[in-house]
Amino acid sequence: MVTLEHYLTLSAILFAIGTTGVFLRRNVITVLLSIEIMLNAANLSLVAFGRYWGAVDGQIIVFFVVTVAAAEAAVGLALVIALFRLRESLDPDAFTSLRW
Amino acid sequence: MGLELPVFYVFAAVAVAASALVIGQRSPIYSVMLLIVSFAALAGLYILLDAPFVAVIQIIIYAGAILVLFLFVVMLLNAPKEASGPRPRLAPGPRRAGVVLAAVFAGELVWAVWRTAMAHEPVTAGVPARAVESVHRIGQVLYTDYAFPFEVTSLLIIVAMVGAVVLAKRHV
Amino acid sequence: MPSLTVIVQLGLVVAVFVMLMLSSAVMVYAERKVAAFIQQREGPNRVGPKGLFQPFADVIKLMFKEELRPGGADTVLFLLAPVISATAAFAAFAVVPFGAATTFFGLLPEPIKLQVADVNVAVLVVFAITSMSVYGIVLAGWSSNSKYSLLGGLRSASQMISYELSYGLALASVLVIANSLSLTDIVNHQSGYWLGFIPKWFVVVQPVGFLIFMISGVAETNRAPFDFPEAEQELVAGYHTEYSSMAFAMFFLAEYINMVTVSAVATDLFLGGWHGPFLPESLGWIWFLVKISALLFFYIWMRWTLPRYRYDQLMQFGWKILLPLAVLNLLVTAAGVILLGA
Repeated sequence: MVTLEHYLTLSAILFAIGTTGVFLRRNVITVLLSIEIMLNAANLSLVAFGRYWGAVDGQIIVFFVVTVAAAEAAVGLALVIALFRLRESLDPDAFTSLRW
Repeated sequence: MGLELPVFYVFAAVAVAASALVIGQRSPIYSVMLLIVSFAALAGLYILLDAPFVAVIQIIIYAGAILVLFLFVVMLLNAPKEASGPRPRLAPGPRRAGVVLAAVFAGELVWAVWRTAMAHEPVTAGVPARAVESVHRIGQVLYTDYAFPFEVTSLLIIVAMVGAVVLAKRHV
Repeated sequence: MPSLTVIVQLGLVVAVFVMLMLSSAVMVYAERKVAAFIQQREGPNRVGPKGLFQPFADVIKLMFKEELRPGGADTVLFLLAPVISATAAFAAFAVVPFGAATTFFGLLPEPIKLQVADVNVAVLVVFAITSMSVYGIVLAGWSSNSKYSLLGGLRSASQMISYELSYGLALASVLVIANSLSLTDIVNHQSGYWLGFIPKWFVVVQPVGFLIFMISGVAETNRAPFDFPEAEQELVAGYHTEYSSMAFAMFFLAEYINMVTVSAVATDLFLGGWHGPFLPESLGWIWFLVKISALLFFYIWMRWTLPRYRYDQLMQFGWKILLPLAVLNLLVTAAGVILLGA
């Protein structure tokens, strides 16, 4: 039988992968994708806990997370486009100066 | 029900492998495509957890809308492959501290999962699937108990929309 | 005897697959004949009686063509794109019911549903799978390494995303009335008559919804008058400019099957599915075929009658007219359901 532990471990692994991506990648778009992985890892635990307790609240919080992710992607990508116009680069290290 | 475990492992393996490849290679367009694979596997896991509605929402919103947006931006900027040269390194002191902290965090997570007794119980055994899979029930709870957060998200979306337009506009 | 049912179920899967393939062949023929009729020509008349074997000749021609690959194309994605398109097109039909449960004139011990998979969130599954087909087009446009393809891909992607919203909202207004997400339930909700002769189809209570659904459906399937991705005059052939041979055929197949799927879903949602007068329930699939054919004919008719819109007009129309209209329609529907307690 699949236990709660299975889902939580998978969620932890995915979260770790996402974190690694945020720290290691040098492309703003990939960093945003890594954040999506982390959000999804959290979603998986929410749904798994919700299933365990027989409550739909977990699923509802997932909907809110998805909404936040959509808003985050829209604003984040708009920022990426604006930054790319200024610096012709997607490397986060190119955006370290506070003014230009 | 003997099939449940192998199915779980297949989906989990796909999700982990695809996610690892998302951050493991340098072409942004492949990262986006692999992330779709990973999300599809997660949708499979949601079905396994008797949450078909979340699974479908996952595909429609995440794979069908958010990632298309990412793909769009990648194509629009004609995003180059990431440079592969050595990056500016941190000093050895902070780096060692970072490794130690990461290890502690990982150990803590594993310990927390192991220690909890309920984590070892089968996830689908306690409550019948009927309790969670009904869309009617989700709607009822969403529009009563969670009515206020629901309204707040609409505000969030408007702010995000305005923000995105303002930021991406060429001449403000 | 469950094994017999399983075999029949598998047979049904194969049958639906073959039917979809054949339907695209029929559509190729019908499109050329109807176009010819509208333009006062003969149309294909060389291969077989009345040119009936023309689609098969076309397929054979395509199979023997050289498979070209543009220089600098991304090989993996270039090959993957048509596969995604065709797979999404076929998969979407899997949850569409096309007839009442039947025993095939008593041949089977228990009635089976004329539907590959009965899912209780079927409507959303169709929606989810069609939203995947945009990837085939975008990737085709990007991986071809050609500016016509790229522009075609970008246009069609933004078009599909824009119209998906109105499509979803038109769908939601039906769901509100039927109070279910299962296509079978929705169809069964539409049996019977009002006042003895008006069929209880949702198109009667949802005329605006049906209109929005069909307009968005045409935009979703990239058909004229919304076929910008393929606008010959400006973009050569849009996202499939660089494709040839079987890869091209797969895009073609996907386009026709998407039309069939949109028509089938529209029939289930608005036109009462397999319910109709004169025929017994077990022969309902004949009504279903008739309704689908009418919608498909409408598609072809429109293509050869209306000129193409301009791209910015299409986006303006989608966001400023169709979407507000769809929201309004949903609000009015919801208010009506609450007030009338239907």
